Amino acid sequence: MSSPPGRALGAGPTSPQGGEAATAQLELRGVTKRFGGVAAVDGVTFEVGKGEIIGIIGPNGAGKTTLLNCISGVYKLDGGDIRWEGASIKGMAPHRVAALGIGRTFQIVKPFGSMTVRENAAIGALFGNAEGRSGTKLAFEKADHVLELVGLKAKARTQVTSLTIPDRKRLEVARAVAARPHLLLLDEVMAGLNNVEIDEALDMVRAVHETGVTVLLIEHVMRVIVGICRRAIVLNFGQVLMQGEPEVVLRDERVIEAYLGERYAKRLRA
Amino acid sequence: MIPSVASAQRWRRIFLVIGAILAAYALLAPLTSLDALQSLNVPLLADKLWFRIATYIVMFIVLATAWNIIGGITGYAAFGNVAFFGIGAYTTGMLVAKAKWPFLLALPLAPVLAALFAVLVGLPLLRLRGHYFAVASLGVGVALGELVQNIDYNGQPLFGGASGLFLPIYSIDNRGLYFFYLMCGAAALAIGVTWWVLRSRFGYGLIAIRENEEAAAVLGVNTTAFKVAAFALAAALTGIAGGIFSQWNVFINQDNVFSIEYNVQMILMALLGGTGTVFGPAAGAVLLQLLIQFLGGSLPMSIELPFVSTNARPIVAQIILGLLLIVVVIFIPRGVIDFFGGRTRLSWAYLRRSLRETSL
Repeated sequence: MSSPPGRALGAGPTSPQGGEAATAQLELRGVTKRFGGVAAVDGVTFEVGKGEIIGIIGPNGAGKTTLLNCISGVYKLDGGDIRWEGASIKGMAPHRVAALGIGRTFQIVKPFGSMTVRENAAIGALFGNAEGRSGTKLAFEKADHVLELVGLKAKARTQVTSLTIPDRKRLEVARAVAARPHLLLLDEVMAGLNNVEIDEALDMVRAVHETGVTVLLIEHVMRVIVGICRRAIVLNFGQVLMQGEPEVVLRDERVIEAYLGERYAKRLRA
Repeated sequence: MIPSVASAQRWRRIFLVIGAILAAYALLAPLTSLDALQSLNVPLLADKLWFRIATYIVMFIVLATAWNIIGGITGYAAFGNVAFFGIGAYTTGMLVAKAKWPFLLALPLAPVLAALFAVLVGLPLLRLRGHYFAVASLGVGVALGELVQNIDYNGQPLFGGASGLFLPIYSIDNRGLYFFYLMCGAAALAIGVTWWVLRSRFGYGLIAIRENEEAAAVLGVNTTAFKVAAFALAAALTGIAGGIFSQWNVFINQDNVFSIEYNVQMILMALLGGTGTVFGPAAGAVLLQLLIQFLGGSLPMSIELPFVSTNARPIVAQIILGLLLIVVVIFIPRGVIDFFGGRTRLSWAYLRRSLRETSL
């Protein structure tokens, strides 16, 4: 699977990709979100093709999570437009975005504390994508299936409050996957995991992707971005700094500067 | 200390048998007051005063079970549910007293109006969370009572004003029994609805909202619609109880149908019994109402409270209820129903664990 031409090497944030608009599953056009006077996301434009795995990287405070909140309907846009399979989803409530098949996880996990692992996943199966919502009985079967996929099957009946951090992150993914998304937005599911756990999580994301789900993931662990993404989008101060193949992007001076600061980047070059 | 599965099952069976016997007694004993049975020399197992209190207890089973749907399952601490009780009572009361409708025709409108009102105030109010919702809903409860008492039409109080509203006495044999069983029917309905909710997609959505509203929303739960529906369902059930109360009591006013005390009691009952469960609020209602009646001195069996004069008993009862609320919230956060399930037993270890869970 090779990247389509024109995408491989960083098309700037302002250069339109008109020819591909028809094939894009998700399309962001000048997406802007302000908090008071600060534009946390400032005119972000990019496209996501069906079946891609795209990484969103950028230093702390670059607006990555805010962008996810804009896509999933948690925040209302202050400007721009978001289109899903050609139709605008701007201003839609989160549950309606979810009904279209856009699922997400939270960076700070938000499990349903009084429920078992299995019940948590079943909520995804009961709701989520409007196509193929299950009745209560079938939902638990589907939950079991998803728990197997993410490696939580053995803990299906445990209370979520007694789960370890990596398992809570898995559950966050399981719940989102059980909602049968076409597009899955993952917000730092690898943060705080050790190397072995990251490998397991990578396998999990790959397994989910292989079922035909488009994945857009925010990640600080560069090994993850290089390992599974064909394309990375770099955000800085709420704007798209550049996008392209992860290996290329990570070697780019502007990106290194954004992460490490101008002075340190110069010293690195010297 | 976790009891073994076998002993847990044995305890559950013992509690089920005891509960079934008590419920059967409470439901059937009033029948012995029927003339037909009395003439057959069947011993009187419940006098009229007693099943007046029993009707009152069953009414609170309805109120606490209904509150549980919005307060326990959905996690929105509604302090104004008494408004729905009042709406139900005044809907039926006005239709019977002023429009001369037959009671059984007027009763079904009580839940309808209460639910409509819940949708109306729920849409703005349920956007608030935590104490903000609690305080706002309390405001609705208080304001509605004042409104009903003070609205005039053509110089006449529309709803009977401060002197209240009198209904014609319902002419039926064994009136006390009739209202007791009618209220039992409402309680069965409330418990049945809760049982259904907790097994339905709707109920799972409500619990998800309680546990984390934002996560529920991005998983596709229409949080606004679900919360409003839960509020309306609680309101409808509460409204039925109000409608039955108005005809049973034949006199309603601000004090006896819009009493904030009722609201505090229904919440306390649900907490005492166990929020979010099917039978918890009912168990809490029975225990607490018996205690209230006992402390108030209106039960056949009573004790002298030391240093307390008869006049001061209701006040002392309030103080004891307040203390009970504190103790329950801290030490039995999941309610007494936890012990009846056979899973846990009351012990020092249990209380210590609860204290750890509930204290910061």
